[in-house]
Amino acid sequence: MPTAPAPSNSFFRSLWIIAQFELVRLFATRRGLLTLFTFAIVWYFMLTGPVMTAAEFIQQNASGSMPSMLLNSVGLGQLLAWPIAEFSAYWQLSLYLFPIFSVLFSADQTASDRDRGSLRFLTMRCSRDSIFLGRFVGQMIIQTILVILTLITTFIVSIYSNPAALISSLQCLLLISANLFFVLLPFTAMMALLSAAVRSPRQAMILAVLLWTLVSATLTSISQHWPMFEFLTYLIPGVHLDDLTELQPSETLSLAYIPVLQTLALLIIGRFVMARGAV
Amino acid sequence: MSLIQCQGLSKKFAEKNVLHDLSFDLPNGQPIALVGPNGAGKTTLFSILCGYIRPTSGTVSILGKAPGSPELFGRVSALPQDAQLDPRFSICRQLVLYARLQGFNRRNARIEAERVLSLMQLSDVLHQKPAVLSHGMRKRVTIAQALIGSPELVLLDEPTAGLDPVNARNIRDLVSEHSNNTTFIISSHNLSELEELCNTVLHLSNGRLQQQVDLTGTQETQNPLSYLTVHMDNCPADAFIRRISDLPGVESVEARQKNHFLISYYLINTSPLDQALLQCIKDSQWDYRQFIKGKTLEEQLFANA
Repeated sequence: MPTAPAPSNSFFRSLWIIAQFELVRLFATRRGLLTLFTFAIVWYFMLTGPVMTAAEFIQQNASGSMPSMLLNSVGLGQLLAWPIAEFSAYWQLSLYLFPIFSVLFSADQTASDRDRGSLRFLTMRCSRDSIFLGRFVGQMIIQTILVILTLITTFIVSIYSNPAALISSLQCLLLISANLFFVLLPFTAMMALLSAAVRSPRQAMILAVLLWTLVSATLTSISQHWPMFEFLTYLIPGVHLDDLTELQPSETLSLAYIPVLQTLALLIIGRFVMARGAV
Repeated sequence: MSLIQCQGLSKKFAEKNVLHDLSFDLPNGQPIALVGPNGAGKTTLFSILCGYIRPTSGTVSILGKAPGSPELFGRVSALPQDAQLDPRFSICRQLVLYARLQGFNRRNARIEAERVLSLMQLSDVLHQKPAVLSHGMRKRVTIAQALIGSPELVLLDEPTAGLDPVNARNIRDLVSEHSNNTTFIISSHNLSELEELCNTVLHLSNGRLQQQVDLTGTQETQNPLSYLTVHMDNCPADAFIRRISDLPGVESVEARQKNHFLISYYLINTSPLDQALLQCIKDSQWDYRQFIKGKTLEEQLFANA
């Protein structure tokens, strides 16, 4: 019999164990693998469909078959900003697609465990904060892995069609992965907060859609009528996505402070909800 | 140091008061029973003690700390009522997770998971998922998780409910074996089980503490009467009451359930009543099933109900 260790109160140790277990949930359970498989299929069609078609379109335009003024007039001028066509298409697509995936993937951070009662087994052994943040960290690791995997497939496609652009492709890969990491932070934090307040992932997703649309509409309306309250729109996850598409690649990280601040605010509120609620 | 101290503890859900101003002090040591009818507030009290919910008012201290505080991690554990393990993971993976959160390294966590499962005689389900286990087996696995790391205090909410007699017996044996190092607080409707295991009984009803009973018999009392509970085997009640009442020192004999009698008697200047009683039963050619010194727990708790 192993001797019982001194009770471990290490917040970060518990947090890391919980985060690691999230990886097990995705990569070592049947449901997790099914989710991964579905994601891979969806991504295959995204890559061979919109991404490659758009890349072809951009390349044709870059070679002068379509004036860039025309693209600018329909709001797609920044498609030409990225040096590699495949990454340019990926960037435009992923900015709006991955937040949706994020809401789907991270809806069940604590909700099912609360409903099932298994959260009670955990709270006897570690703090609610370490559970809440551990699950958030685990979800961010998973999503970062998925983003990098999709970027690697795009990278392979891009250097296959243009082997000379290896360095540029690598730079695009790193820059986009860093940007998407920041983009996904507040969406995952929002789901951590909502998941802490309900007892099923479906409820969390419904709340996310309701809150996101209602709050967005309300805050946007307020800021239009009273411009002094425009700062309130910065509370909405993804508020800076349109701005990101307008920026040159090298400038995109300059807006990272917005999702970071949103994430901090959402995690602080979520932590409070988790600490006060019944388990 | 007290094991648990509660002062003025109340809990209200919406407008309904579930616990009313509970105050008690429980000592470390032998198992403690928590009894009461459905809706008495037992599970709510358990939930507060485990830190799952907060009291509306009052204070609670477990081993000198507030429920849910980091100092209690690994020292206090529980079998929460109706809590289920995650159906997606094997028993092993979940128990190893819990052990690791309690400070075990990966290797020892695995050994500890195997140990607690073997205590429940469930070693062969280590790699199974909860969904393939029967209700009773799932319950025993959740009891096993409460024993990880040999905590100082284990709260068991109806641990034998839904178990077959053999496994219920095993749980009782396990509690008895481990009660030297671990204090168990057990909530159950099975009074004979609690009587067998526990020395202290907290009786809750309608969210109020009705009484705190000491079953050791060492509690000082003003009552000069002693009690003997007798379970007879097919004996005419009237004849039994008449003949036993004639024995020296007997104050009264009351019939309880069928063939159950409560004898009140004085110890002073008489020969031991149990010997006289046995002789009387033999002379009358009756047969008995059980003698219990004192009142049964049921008698103590509900005689006036």
